Amino acid sequence: MSTLTKVLIVLLTIASIFLCGIVVTYVANADNYKQKYDNQQRILQAAKRNEDNAKTQLNTTIEEKDRDAEKLGQQIASLEEQISKLQSDLATAQRDKDDANRKVNNWAAIVMDFSKTLENYEKLVKNALAERDLKEAELIKRDKELKDTSAALMENMAIVKQLRDESKRLLEEKTELQNKLDQYLQQFGKAIAEPIPVTPEEGAVSLAPPTKDIELHGSITEVDLKNLLAEVSIGTADGVREGMRFHLTRDNQFICDVVILDVWPERAVGWIELLQDQPQNQPRVNDKVSTNL
Amino acid sequence: MSPVLQSRGKKITAADNLYTVILAVAFLAVLATGVFVAYQCYTQYDTIFTIQ
Repeated sequence: MSTLTKVLIVLLTIASIFLCGIVVTYVANADNYKQKYDNQQRILQAAKRNEDNAKTQLNTTIEEKDRDAEKLGQQIASLEEQISKLQSDLATAQRDKDDANRKVNNWAAIVMDFSKTLENYEKLVKNALAERDLKEAELIKRDKELKDTSAALMENMAIVKQLRDESKRLLEEKTELQNKLDQYLQQFGKAIAEPIPVTPEEGAVSLAPPTKDIELHGSITEVDLKNLLAEVSIGTADGVREGMRFHLTRDNQFICDVVILDVWPERAVGWIELLQDQPQNQPRVNDKVSTNL
Repeated sequence: MSPVLQSRGKKITAADNLYTVILAVAFLAVLATGVFVAYQCYTQYDTIFTIQ
C-alpha cells in the first residue's frame, strides 16, 4: 500500500470523525420544529375557539343590547308620556294655586273687614255691657223698691183682709139684727124700709176685668203661702194685666184663684184667693194657671 | 506487505491491518452518526425521509 493511500486513509478517518462530531452536535442541538408546529397549531385552535366564543358572546351581547335598547325605548316613551301628563298636572296645579292665591287674598280682605267689624262690635258690646251694668244697678234698686212696696202691700192686704172679715162679721150682725127687727115689726103689722146708705158704698176690692174674652195659660213659678202670694210664668208680653183673675188647677182639680197685683214683661205676682185648708190642695210650683176653666 | 519484506531489514512500517482498522473506525463513526440522525428524525418527525 502506498504512502499516499495511507495518508489519505488517515485524513479520511480524521475528516469522517470530525464531520460526524459536527453532525451529531448539530442534530442533538437542532430544534424540534414538529413539536413547535404542534404547539403553535394547538395555540391556533385555541385562538379559533376563543374567537368563536367571542363572536358568540358578541352576538349574544348585541342581541341583549338590542333588547335592552328596545326596553329602554319603551321606558323612555312611557316616561315621556308621564312627563307630558305631569306637565299638564303641573299646569293644572299652577292654575289651582293661582285661584287659591286669589281666594286667599279675597279672604284676607274679608277677614280684615271682619276684624274691623268685630272691633266695632266689641266696642258696641262694651257699651252694651256698661249700659247693662247700669241697668242692673237700676234693676237692683228697683227690686229693692219692689220688695219694700211688696212688704207694704202685704201689710195693706192683711189690713184689707182684716177689714173684710170685720165687714163680713158686721154684715152678719146686721142681717141678724134685720131679721130680729123684721120679726119684731111683723108682730105689729109693719115692715122696715130698705135702708139707704148715706154715702154710696165703695167696693174695697174692685172687680177684676172680664177675662172671658182672652184665654191665657201659664204656670206657677214660686209660691209664698205665708204671705198668700204666687208668681206666674207669664207677664205683660203675653197680655197679663193687673187685676186679672187666674184659676189655679192641678190634674183637672181646682186649687185656688190668683188675682194679679203686679206685672213684669215675663212674669207676674198675684194674691191667692179661695185657698183651701187641705195640705194636698195647697198651691205648688208648676201648677197650671189659666184665665178660663 | 509480506512478513518477508519486514524480516529483510527494511524500515519498520505499520501493518496494513492497522489502516484497515482505521478505516473501520471511520466507517463505524459515520454509521453511528447516520443511525443517530435517523433516530432523531424518527423520534421528532415520526419518519426518516418523507415530510408529512
